[in-house]
This record gives sequence, C-alpha cells and structure tokens, in this order.
Amino acid sequence: MIRNMKKHTIPLLVFVSPALIAFILIMLIPMCITFFYSLTDWNGLNPEYNIVGFQNFIEAVADDYGFRNSIFFTFKYAVVMVVLQNTIALLLALLVNRIKKGKTLLRTALFMPNMISFVIGAFIWSFIFLQVLPTIAKSVYALRFLDQSWLGDSTLAFWSIVIVSLWTGIGYTMIIYLAALQNIPKEIIEQSKIDGANTFKRFIHITLPMIVPAITVCLFITMNGAFKQFDLVYALTNGGPGKSTRVLALDIYLEAFSSNYRYGYANAKAIILFFVVLFLTLVQLKVLKKREIQL
Amino acid sequence: MRQRTQTLLDNINKHKTLILIYIFLCAVCFFSLFPLFITVLNSFKPQAQIMKSVIAFPRTLAFDNYKEALEEMDFFRVFFNTAFITCLSVMGIVICASMAGYKLSRNKSKLSFFLYLVFVSSMLIPFHSIMISLVNMAKLLKIHNSVWGLPFVYVGIGVNFPIFLYHGFVKSIPVELEDAAKIDGCNEHQTFFKIIFPLLKPINITVAILQIIWIWNDFLLPLLMLTNSKHYTLILSTVMFRGKYYVEWSKILAAVVITCIPVIIIYMLFQRHIVKGITTGAVKG
Repeated sequence: MIRNMKKHTIPLLVFVSPALIAFILIMLIPMCITFFYSLTDWNGLNPEYNIVGFQNFIEAVADDYGFRNSIFFTFKYAVVMVVLQNTIALLLALLVNRIKKGKTLLRTALFMPNMISFVIGAFIWSFIFLQVLPTIAKSVYALRFLDQSWLGDSTLAFWSIVIVSLWTGIGYTMIIYLAALQNIPKEIIEQSKIDGANTFKRFIHITLPMIVPAITVCLFITMNGAFKQFDLVYALTNGGPGKSTRVLALDIYLEAFSSNYRYGYANAKAIILFFVVLFLTLVQLKVLKKREIQL
Repeated sequence: MRQRTQTLLDNINKHKTLILIYIFLCAVCFFSLFPLFITVLNSFKPQAQIMKSVIAFPRTLAFDNYKEALEEMDFFRVFFNTAFITCLSVMGIVICASMAGYKLSRNKSKLSFFLYLVFVSSMLIPFHSIMISLVNMAKLLKIHNSVWGLPFVYVGIGVNFPIFLYHGFVKSIPVELEDAAKIDGCNEHQTFFKIIFPLLKPINITVAILQIIWIWNDFLLPLLMLTNSKHYTLILSTVMFRGKYYVEWSKILAAVVITCIPVIIIYMLFQRHIVKGITTGAVKG
C-alpha cells in the first residue's frame, strides 16, 4: 500500500500541484468565500458582520426590481442571441460551403470582427450608432429611418447590443459549422443527389444529422457567452439608458464595486448567476445528449 | 455578337443561384468590414471634419490623432505590459495544464479521477461569480495591481479547460513510449519533458491560440486587478482613453485603430492555425 502510494500518488501530486495550487487559490477559495459572504450582511469594509441566512437571496429574487429586470433582460438577450447567431451562422456556412472560389477570402472577412475585443468593437459601433448612421440618414432620404436614438432608447439599445454581438460572434460560430460541413463525406452527398433528393430534403435528412455535434457545441458556446456578457454592454451602453440594459454580470459588478457597499448582497447575486448558468448547462447537456443518441 | 449575348445569358441562368449566393455573401462581408473601414477612414480626419461628414474621404492625412493617442495611451508601455502578461500566462497555462492533464490521464487511481472531475466541473463557474472575492484574495496574496501577479490569476482561472483538452489528447499517445524511456533510464520528469511534451505539439498550439486571444482581449480582469496606470493593458488603456475623451471621435478612433493593428497582424499571419485551433477546441469541448 505504502509502496504503491510512493510509486503512484507522489508523482501524480508533483505533476498536478502547479495547476492545482493556482486553481485552488484563484478559483476554489474565492468560490467558497463568495458562498460564505452571500449569507452575510457585510459591507466590505467593516470587520463586523452578521450572518443573515438566505435573506439576501430572498431580497434579490422577491424585492429587487432592478435585479429581476436584469435577469429577465439577460434571458431575453440569451434567447435572441442563441437563435439569431446560430441560424445566421449556419446559413452563411452552408452558402460559403457551396461556392468554389473565394472561400478563404470570405472566411477571413467574416471572422475578422471576432479577433477584435468586445470593448473595441463596442467603441467602433458606438461611433456608427452616434455619428455614422445619423449622417447617412440626413444625406440619403430613403435611409432616413436610420436616424434613431440607437443607444438612448431602451428597446433600440437592446437591439444595438444584439447587432454588435452578432457582428463579433457570427464569424466564430460560422467557422465551427463550416468545419463540420466540410467533414461530411462527399460520397453521401453524391449518393443522395443520385437518389433524387432536392436541396431542402438533403439538408434536413443528410446535412443536419451529420452536424448535430457542431450544433450542440455552438448552442452551448452562444448560450454561455450570452449569460456571461459583460465587456460589450459595459463599453456600449454601460447598462443604460437608466438601468434597462444591465446584464447580470454588469449588475453584479456595479453592485459590488461602484454602488452602496452591499458586499454580502452582491455576493448573493453572484451565487444566483452561478446557479442560473449551472442549471441551464445541465438542462442543455441532458436535452442535447438525448437528441444525439436518438439520431 | 447576338450569339455571344445569348451564351452569356445562358451562363447566367445556369449559375443563377451561385451568383445570388455571391451577391448575398458580398453584402454580408460589407456588413462585417464596413465598421472597420469607416473607423480607419475617420481616424485620419480632424474632429471638425468628422462632424461635417463621416463618409467623405479625409482631405489630408492627419497623423496628429495618432500621435496624440500613442502618447496619451502610453502605447509602448501598455503594449509591452499586455505582451508580457499574455506570454507569461500562456506559458504558465501550457506547462501547468499539460503536466496535470498528462498525469491525470495516465494515473488510474480514484484520487486522480476525483481531481480531474474537480477541474472539469469548475468550467461551469462563471468568472463573474467569483470576481468579487477574487479581488480580495489577490490583495491578500499581494498579487493585486502587478503585472507579475496577473499571469498567476490567469493560470488559476484558465487552466481547467486546457487540462480537459490534454487529458483527452494524451490517451492517443501509446504508453509503450514511456516504458521504453523508463528502460533507457529517464525519470518521470525527463520522460514528460523530452518524450511526451514534444508529442503534444498540436494541442499545445490549440491551447496557446485560444488563451492568447482570450488574454490579449480580456478587459474585466485587468480592470479589477490593475489600478495603477503604469500597469495598464492595451484594452484597459483604450477604455480609460475613451472615458476621458468621450465623443472626441478623432482621438478615440485613432486609439481604436492602434489597438486593433497588432491583433489584425497576428490574425493575418496565423489565420490557418487560429481557425484550426478554434475548431479543435470547440469540437473537443
């Protein structure tokens, strides 16, 4: 037993410890601290605090209108993003896959925005929303509808955030779909053509089942990305106008670092975010695994 | 002549769908690249000219915007900071994660499986859930506000997914290689660094690319960790610059272009690797 331990466990620990130490100090302990403080009324400065149980959670879910609003907003954003980003990216991948010349060029152009950080993308687009679109609207009569308060109206601000997210995100998902499409064996496609399947039927019965793994991955990535969105909203609207576009992550950030020193309460919100993401991921894994086996 | 027109028309008819596809894709490309184009275009104009018209070409190429942006962002310093933080973090992640992933994959004990499970399940923790406590933890560890401390934080946060990737990849390397190395008198570390690590090259590249893109473009963690402008990263510095000049577009756009240039150059040079890295990372994930 002891010899076995010396032979196997010690090398294991030696190899794992660099990663493990950093991981424990940076992820695990902060997670535990967050759990603990979410049950207190600590203000972040005072050495004294009381343990208040689940009061913070009850307040956040039942009484805090702003927080409920940001949960609702984040869900709305996530649903719209998952649907639009995946539909458009898959459509583009199918089209790019059909053409022969210029494939690489198109891929380069469509993926380029993804390399630029969300923050910088948001700056570029705030210039477009605040300066370029109004100018175009003034000079071209047919496009006068472009002169809107893109970032100042809460409904439009939502769609502005969606537009910028799509601009950066589509290239990424498209690349994954494109790789999946290129992995479909040519013989299968040829055979289905001989059998007389039209384009639509071929897509439903051949292409779609073949790329289910890629769809699983992309749904997962877009959903997770949407729930963790911070940078873009911070730089584009900073939660405004009012508090109408505060996504969950931004709400937690502002609660903890810039408002009223309710440290315990901010941690409770952080824990709620954790459980929301956990719940959605588990549901998604379950549903998609089932689907994959069926196909 | 008439016949030629006829064949041309026939050709168009035959390739109708293809032509429509090209037109549509060109429109999408326009949507994708127009924001970048308009940014570069206006970054060369003085503010007054931008307010007059955003679409017109600049009358003279004014490099003043760039000069001011470079100076005020302290570009060379923040560029160096970002490069330093990114390199150190990525090296740390690649080394720590490959060592851990390799041993966790080879060792079949319960402890090993448990540790692997802990790493993998931690991928579910959103960064925003731990960020508040992480700031306190960093202050406690005295790694707050330092370009040396930040890479350590990146290793702690970023190591879980690469461990998962390495764990999967190591399974495809035959164990016989290690046995042979052992017979030849290599100890555990020599076996890993001399025999195994070079074989991990494809996955090393994938991991490095994914981490470089993430860390180089990261904003929230530097915002939380670096309070001294001496230590700012490129993105953080641009955000502060924007905060100062709010709608003075001429300066902001120049700063944006400067920040984009390194990324675009890297993208152009390593496009193939980047695309491959993302697809393997995604499929494995």
